[in-house]
Amino acid sequence: MIQVQHLTKQYAGRMAVDDVTFEVEPGQIVGFLGPNGAGKSTTMRILSGYMPPTSGRARVNGHDVFHESLAVRRSVGYMPETAPLYTEMRVKEYLRFRAELKGLAGQAMRRRVGEVMDLCSVTDARRRLIGNLSKGYRQRVALADALLHEPPLLILDEPSNGLDPVQIRQVRELLRGLRPKHTILLSTHILPEVESLCDRVVMIHHGRLLADDTPENLARRLRTLTEVHAELRGSGEMTAALEALPGVRKASAEEAGDGWQRLVLRVEPRQDVREAVMALASERGWQVRELHRRLPGLEEVFVELASAESPGVF
Amino acid sequence: MRIFWVLLKKELRAFFVSPMAYIVLALVMVLNGFCLRAALSVLERGPSEGSIVTWTFHAMWFWLSYFFIFPLLTMRLFAEEKKMGTLETLFTAPVRTWQVVWSKYAASVLLYCLLWTPSALNFALVDWITAGQVEMPAGALKGSYLILFVMGLFNLAIGCFASSLTSNQIIAAVVSFTMSLLHFLGGLFISVIGRQVSESFVDIIHYIASTEHIRIFTNGLIDTRPLVYYTSFALLFLALTHQVVESRRWKP
Repeated sequence: MIQVQHLTKQYAGRMAVDDVTFEVEPGQIVGFLGPNGAGKSTTMRILSGYMPPTSGRARVNGHDVFHESLAVRRSVGYMPETAPLYTEMRVKEYLRFRAELKGLAGQAMRRRVGEVMDLCSVTDARRRLIGNLSKGYRQRVALADALLHEPPLLILDEPSNGLDPVQIRQVRELLRGLRPKHTILLSTHILPEVESLCDRVVMIHHGRLLADDTPENLARRLRTLTEVHAELRGSGEMTAALEALPGVRKASAEEAGDGWQRLVLRVEPRQDVREAVMALASERGWQVRELHRRLPGLEEVFVELASAESPGVF
Repeated sequence: MRIFWVLLKKELRAFFVSPMAYIVLALVMVLNGFCLRAALSVLERGPSEGSIVTWTFHAMWFWLSYFFIFPLLTMRLFAEEKKMGTLETLFTAPVRTWQVVWSKYAASVLLYCLLWTPSALNFALVDWITAGQVEMPAGALKGSYLILFVMGLFNLAIGCFASSLTSNQIIAAVVSFTMSLLHFLGGLFISVIGRQVSESFVDIIHYIASTEHIRIFTNGLIDTRPLVYYTSFALLFLALTHQVVESRRWKP
């Protein structure tokens, strides 16, 4: 669906995107991650046919973004980061205008506008002036606009920006429902969103590609130690005994009240010490009320990759 | 072509949902009234060389309205979309640059034509009240509106160009006002320096002198040179506008 090869974009001497190469298969939801100013929006603008790259090639749905810009724009539903809309128009009127621009007409256009308004739950605001709408509503009007012509590829720049938690969940469900028919490339800051929604993650930083993999693989690749959390009650020196277990680097304890100890074990990567902890506890006669392993999330991956690239980004 | 109509419809709508169209329309109507009053007072003084049409478009009030119309009609065309970021939404829809440029320009031209209809009604009114006693040569009427139209094409294209350069409407208005005014003053130059310069230089200046064009056309003389001059420069400025709007595609 998307083929990007050695894509580079320079703005007046500043490298916004630097030799980025990746591919997106049809039907995937791909999360596009990176700190602010990493080059996400620039890449998305290039892919949506708004501006051409300085060098390198990008193909969308088989069309070159520079030479076949119109064909690219027909197959992409793009939602810019700030969701710019004509503030003097009403919601329904705006969507009809956009639908006509995208080649829909007559009965089909009216039906489709109704459908996307329902899909993005803006039907109750259809007669309101866009200028008077809240950020959340505007964001969803922009999303409805991107969906209008049923494009095979959706490029969404921070679709959950400005939405409240309930709306974020609604949008996430909506996107998940689009998966079989549409390919989605979305950028976001909300890492749990990526973990729960995306099949793949493309990370860029300072315009360069950092990682391109599934969220699980990225977490697995991580060198960061995993943590095991346990709450135990009993007698004896717990931390020393736990640190003696193979694979445990460091154990720390804190008082959790009522004689309970809250222990955090830093464990070597790809090691699971939960059974060993349980065995030790029953051997020493300790009571156990909690024992779980915390896998590193994307957040840790992200911070580690970004800080390895240049210390002190966050 | 269908896209062009959709865009044109939207542009015209945008004019009429903002108070701008009504303010300009009212302003021009009032100034047109003053122009007519000025022309009538010239005719009251006794026999004169020109007709009522000539004197109407020679009134000072005419030039006053003339310079305010163009910046007011064109300043928001591109500047507002740039500021709001909607140009990005617009150009990620399957539209071509020429469709956007021409639809915006066409909307301003249509509104400009609308602005002058009250003045035509004024003439009709004078004709009706005086029962045809005031002489109103058809050639002068046709010539006047023809030159007004092509001068409009020219100045509106300048306004479009100015608006495409910036995201600030005020700057767009000032740039377009300055360019129109400089062009006008360039033509007026001739009456300031009089006959002290060579004949050939005066001839060149006559090509660009709006005051001269108005004088010739309002007397019913239709000269093709100003027509070609104004329309070709209008096309040039539209081509420049096109390049500026496209610049995101070629700028390094």
